Amino acid sequence: MITLIRRELLDNLMTFRFAAAVFIMLLLVVATTAVLIRDYERRLASYDTAVKKNRQKMLERTTYSAARLTIDRSPNPLSIFNVGLDKRLGNRLGVNHFFVPTLWDAGKHGSDNPFLNLFSSIDLVFIFQGILSLLALVFAYDTLAGERERGTLRLVLTHPIRHGQILFAKYISGMICLLIPLLMCILLVLIMLTTSASIFLSIDDFLRIGGVVFMSFVYLSLFYLIGMLISAATRRTSTALMLAMFVWGFLVLVYPNMILTAIKTEPHPDTTLSAYNKIKRIWEEFDRDRLQYLANDPVPGEKYHFDLRGEGYTFRGLGGDYPSSLLYYHLTGFNFKTLEAESEPLVPHVQNYLRFFVPQVTNTAERIWLVRKPALDALYTRPAKIEQMLLKFSPVGLYDAATEAWTGTDLNGLQDFFTAVQRYHQAVIDYYLDNKIFESRLWFVGAEGDIDWNLMPQFSFKRSDIGINAKRAFPDLCLLLMINLVLFAIIFLIFVRSEV
Amino acid sequence: MILHITKRELYDNLNSLRFALTVLLLLALMLTNAIGHLHEHPNRIQTYNAAVAESLNLLSSHTDDSLYKLTQQGPGKLYKKPSPLHFCAEGGERLLPNIIEGGSPYVYSTGIIGVWQLSYPDASINRKRVGPDVTKVDWAFIIAYVLSLIALLFTFDSISGEREHGTLRLMLSNSVPRHTILIGKFLGALISVSIPFTLAALMNLLIISTSSAVHLNTEAWGRLGIIFFIALLYTCFFLALGLLISARVQRSAVSLMILLLIWVTFVVFMPSTLASIASELSPSISSDEKWTQYSQMREEIWDRYNYVAWSKEVDRKTLTAKSAFFFEKAEMAERLNQEYLTSQMAQVQHARSITQVSTATLLQYLLESFAGTGFARHSQFVNNAERYAQQYREFVVDIDRSDPESLHIIGVPEGMTEKKVLPAAVPKFEDTLSLSKDFNDSAMEMLLLTLFVIVLLSGAYLAFVHVEI
Repeated sequence: MITLIRRELLDNLMTFRFAAAVFIMLLLVVATTAVLIRDYERRLASYDTAVKKNRQKMLERTTYSAARLTIDRSPNPLSIFNVGLDKRLGNRLGVNHFFVPTLWDAGKHGSDNPFLNLFSSIDLVFIFQGILSLLALVFAYDTLAGERERGTLRLVLTHPIRHGQILFAKYISGMICLLIPLLMCILLVLIMLTTSASIFLSIDDFLRIGGVVFMSFVYLSLFYLIGMLISAATRRTSTALMLAMFVWGFLVLVYPNMILTAIKTEPHPDTTLSAYNKIKRIWEEFDRDRLQYLANDPVPGEKYHFDLRGEGYTFRGLGGDYPSSLLYYHLTGFNFKTLEAESEPLVPHVQNYLRFFVPQVTNTAERIWLVRKPALDALYTRPAKIEQMLLKFSPVGLYDAATEAWTGTDLNGLQDFFTAVQRYHQAVIDYYLDNKIFESRLWFVGAEGDIDWNLMPQFSFKRSDIGINAKRAFPDLCLLLMINLVLFAIIFLIFVRSEV
Repeated sequence: MILHITKRELYDNLNSLRFALTVLLLLALMLTNAIGHLHEHPNRIQTYNAAVAESLNLLSSHTDDSLYKLTQQGPGKLYKKPSPLHFCAEGGERLLPNIIEGGSPYVYSTGIIGVWQLSYPDASINRKRVGPDVTKVDWAFIIAYVLSLIALLFTFDSISGEREHGTLRLMLSNSVPRHTILIGKFLGALISVSIPFTLAALMNLLIISTSSAVHLNTEAWGRLGIIFFIALLYTCFFLALGLLISARVQRSAVSLMILLLIWVTFVVFMPSTLASIASELSPSISSDEKWTQYSQMREEIWDRYNYVAWSKEVDRKTLTAKSAFFFEKAEMAERLNQEYLTSQMAQVQHARSITQVSTATLLQYLLESFAGTGFARHSQFVNNAERYAQQYREFVVDIDRSDPESLHIIGVPEGMTEKKVLPAAVPKFEDTLSLSKDFNDSAMEMLLLTLFVIVLLSGAYLAFVHVEI
């Protein structure tokens, strides 16, 4: 058995194709990593500027109703392995009392050029996806057909060796040959990552990279087995090679693009429109209640801002007309530095009004959220999940989804961030309610330095721990392993039954 | 003799497994493409028509009002006309904005209404869609990725394979010059690759043209012809590459390995990596910078003119100052918008010219420009809109000049003619495409592609002549 493996290994390692494969792999991976690290650094720099700028803008505000709480999303260093949605989705999200923030409301940092998205972006998993599978097929297509052609298979089988052993020896040696370039690449990438000044990887991150490497290994093995299957089923190496190439072209190149062009997963536009109209109606009802209150108010004829005069301004809007993200809200704010003396008697009225009005706004926002969440799910999340599932009929899709889960750049990983923002939104509202800020004078008038913004709840986000990543990657890993086993069993059956 | 060799190659290929698989694959892809197009295109046209009709309605309602209203509100939204050849190259259309706005006359938040300006929406980053990102199966994808791979699969063993079997020596023992063999092999492979491609393309066009939803005019057919020719040229490039490597390498397995690695590097890897590197070399203005600049200049203009902003006087001096105020503000905003857009587009243009090193990208750009989609088309649209904006402004001035009673102070109601404007007289925006212009613009790229093919073919010739058997 060992002799067999050694023989196969030497056969493979000494070939030109092995040298070429290793060389090209290393070249591509190093070049890609360098570009990706640079790209990550740029995104990180843009994040840092945005955080600084937002902090500065927040400190400039002097009233609570004009507060500007903006949460920025930092780029994920593991996006170098699989960029997933990390680069595409919004990375700036405002937290307000008048709507519950979601990932669909997020914007982008200002320093990006959106036209550059015309160019496709690649990552390491993409390189592995294309090249590893190609290498695996090129190594495997002649393992059985080649020996059969040359007649050496008959020779080997004259020895008292079982068919299974031969297969196993061929599999192990082929995999070792393929692992060498893979591991070399990973090591080079790790060296580049750890020497880069801007990237900090925790122990968990290294484990996640381990997960990605393991997935790559399983993916590699799957394509090696496909190659062996083709090799076992065909008589001639040239046929085997042709079949292998077309299988590769179909699985890697054609299927993922074709299936999503062929099958449309968009929901019916009416469903979203009706949800939007419902949301709009709720706010309009709310506005009527508000006007009712103002009409019954002891101060006659005032407007929403009670004709407050002073240094500063008021703003108000019923709108935020964004049907595509089902966003509609009620926004009122005051940004006065000082009030004129004649406005002072109005202040208790304003406070009375706000005591009634602002908690109503937050309550309505909560109610809206109950409508908006399922509608957004139907509009965006469900089609995305269906598309992802369709892709999983090809091993490429499985590999991509599993590595995305490991790196935390999949939809779940990003939703974690936005859920944290929602929690923060709740914390801010609780803080406002606990400190009676809605009805306080600082809600509408405040001089510079009146509000200590540092007392506000602070936003913090930790990426989900490695167990959750593993759990999310597990189903796809199982599927990949299962396909591996099934393929091996089929190869065994074909090989045992075939004549030499 | 060439004919004889070509014929032999052709028979060999037609009977092979790869030919059958190629036919199947290309037919499936082209079918998907046609069905997808028939499904989407009518919607696209309908949306465009509805939007244009709405915009024109608004414009004619302004016309009914007065010339001042036209000056104030502008021509409204200008839409990019969807190309009927969208199925040839999608060209990132879903990321590019399809609208330019000529409106938003509001000056500051104080409720003063000035005059309109052009504003360009950002490219959508498609951040709302959370599904996987895939390439659309269009002709560009089929040709750039699939057809090139197939071309390599047809040629990787054409010389090394014969050498392995020993038939090459046999053939050369007849008094056939080597270049004849090479040309024969090249033609044979070209014909055997173009048969399935032509078949699939014809089926695709048949499905698309029999449907009543899509209308292809003569110009569109001309464009399709050019696209088909470019596809063949591109196939020649990969056939020549295959022959070159096949002539240099002893064994066909090695030849295939090398070819595949070259293919992956050039077709898949280089476009995105080079774009990322190139875009860093020429940074664009960030939107933050734009806004900082904008608010500074706005403040500055406000400081100079705020004395007239609220003025109710109708004497000539006040009106002229008001008009100058509105126009300066609008021009400033439009200039900043333009600078911002230009810097962004220049960055992309820079990256595009560098990525042309990869033939796959070159083909992509050629197909985009002939299909009337993508980035080049977008800059044409921007130019069209800017030209139209100029025309519209001149129209307003001309109409006002024709009325002797008017004060000829554009941009303020009291200074302009009160005569009615005929809705038919107002220039309408028509987004046009011109084949000759597209041809001129992409002549460079076509020549580059031809050059690549010639270089590789002569390389293959030299390699084959000098090789020992």
